[in-house]
Amino acid sequence: MIPLYFDPGTGALIVQFLAAAIAGILLFYRTVLQKIKSFLGLKNKKEVDFMDEVDAEEDKE
Amino acid sequence: MDDNKVKRAINPIYFKQYNTLTDSGFYKMLFEKKYLIPHKTDIVTPEQIIIEAKKIPFISYPYEWSFLQYKHAALLTLKIQKLCLEHNFVLKDASAFNISFHQGKPIFIDTLSFDFYQENNPWIAYKQFIQHFLGPLVLTKYYGHHHLKTLANNLEGISLRTLSKSLPLKSYLSPTILTNIHLLASFDKKYESDKKTVSNNLSKSSQIKLIDGLYDYILTLSVNEKTEWDDYYNQINYKETAYQFKKEVVKDWFKSIKGKSLIDIGGNDGAFSRELKDGAQFVIVADVDANAVEQNYKQLMKNREKSILPIVIDILNPPASYGFNNQECSSFMDRVIDQHLDGCLALAVIHHITLSGNVPFKLSAQFFSQMAPNLLIEFPTRDDSWVRFLLDSKREFKDHFDFYNEENFEKEYAVYFEIMKKEKISDSERILYSLKRL
Repeated sequence: MIPLYFDPGTGALIVQFLAAAIAGILLFYRTVLQKIKSFLGLKNKKEVDFMDEVDAEEDKE
Repeated sequence: MDDNKVKRAINPIYFKQYNTLTDSGFYKMLFEKKYLIPHKTDIVTPEQIIIEAKKIPFISYPYEWSFLQYKHAALLTLKIQKLCLEHNFVLKDASAFNISFHQGKPIFIDTLSFDFYQENNPWIAYKQFIQHFLGPLVLTKYYGHHHLKTLANNLEGISLRTLSKSLPLKSYLSPTILTNIHLLASFDKKYESDKKTVSNNLSKSSQIKLIDGLYDYILTLSVNEKTEWDDYYNQINYKETAYQFKKEVVKDWFKSIKGKSLIDIGGNDGAFSRELKDGAQFVIVADVDANAVEQNYKQLMKNREKSILPIVIDILNPPASYGFNNQECSSFMDRVIDQHLDGCLALAVIHHITLSGNVPFKLSAQFFSQMAPNLLIEFPTRDDSWVRFLLDSKREFKDHFDFYNEENFEKEYAVYFEIMKKEKISDSERILYSLKRL
């Protein structure tokens, strides 16, 4: 087998610019929303990260 | 692979990448974070570098994961790509087959998937990530768990056109799906025959935003489909005393076979396997119900258990060998047989195999004899309420299942096994057989 070769797709390379722009807007919107929430004293429920949290605890042991 | 070792040869075309990844400490960082399977350099010659990677006992494939496992595999891939970008590397492919589960966590197993980052270049593996991860996850969100098996039929990932067409109209309202699936599918079609190179259109910070956006979206994904398991505890037809008795028998049996490894067929959320975790070094818990498997995975994450591997397996149709020459992904049976496990647990499963699956005792005995040399199997008799229910569902064909009784079970299983012990579970219509392969 010829390892790791697949066509990345021209369209898929071009569209990333648009997808990133939309993602940027969403992230900005979320950050603003979080700031407003924390300003109003509303706490955000933080999801526990499935990998790093476990590792950090293991290191403490 | 030779002599039970995992070795890989690197050709001069990849020497520069491999040496930089090693010398910069990037591989080491990935090992420390437990993102990548550790390896060491074995032999170095001007023509080849041979590396030896740590062996994972049992490779599970994406079509055997529950929703949460699949999600975590996707998130790990994104974590690695982000870390790569921060250190001027890139993941050059994002196949779901590059991830497996080891010691309770997903781990990246393809050491040679890394390359140098070229300034402002888009992510070469983006399309593959969508086809392997986002596609099946989003289909599962909308239409249920069977879409987690998508890759079994499409080792290359689901086609973008099929994916985009399958999703409901309301999916267009999600900016993440709109851009990363629908828009991607139309761009992909538009530029299908155009093989021009695209570079320098995406800054690194923009690419990180794209990765973060996908990460946040996948992190919040959930699937709203109830399965049989969700009602399981209301359906249990035996009492607490019988349950405790069963647990004790399982523990005694495992001690008596002096086992270290086990497969639990129809193991549900791993309740009985968990009783053995002190003695067992490696336990595969296979169940057909994706929600039960997910529950098992959640528990082992919470308890930080490293010996249990929960997988979704339909024992009436276990994953076959797939890929070119049927050799790219080996079948469930082949992988289990290769393990040389010490024991097999089959609790509350034979009536489903025999009566729901219409599999005669002769064939199920042959199946179990391939799993391990020791078998603990629970046999619900005809007076058990579940068995009665299953027999009644046969309606006018009920007579065809008159063979379902203790005598015939023992007779057919005697072809492959010797009965070591037979115990009736008190307060129930069930019998536990401890069997040894002939």
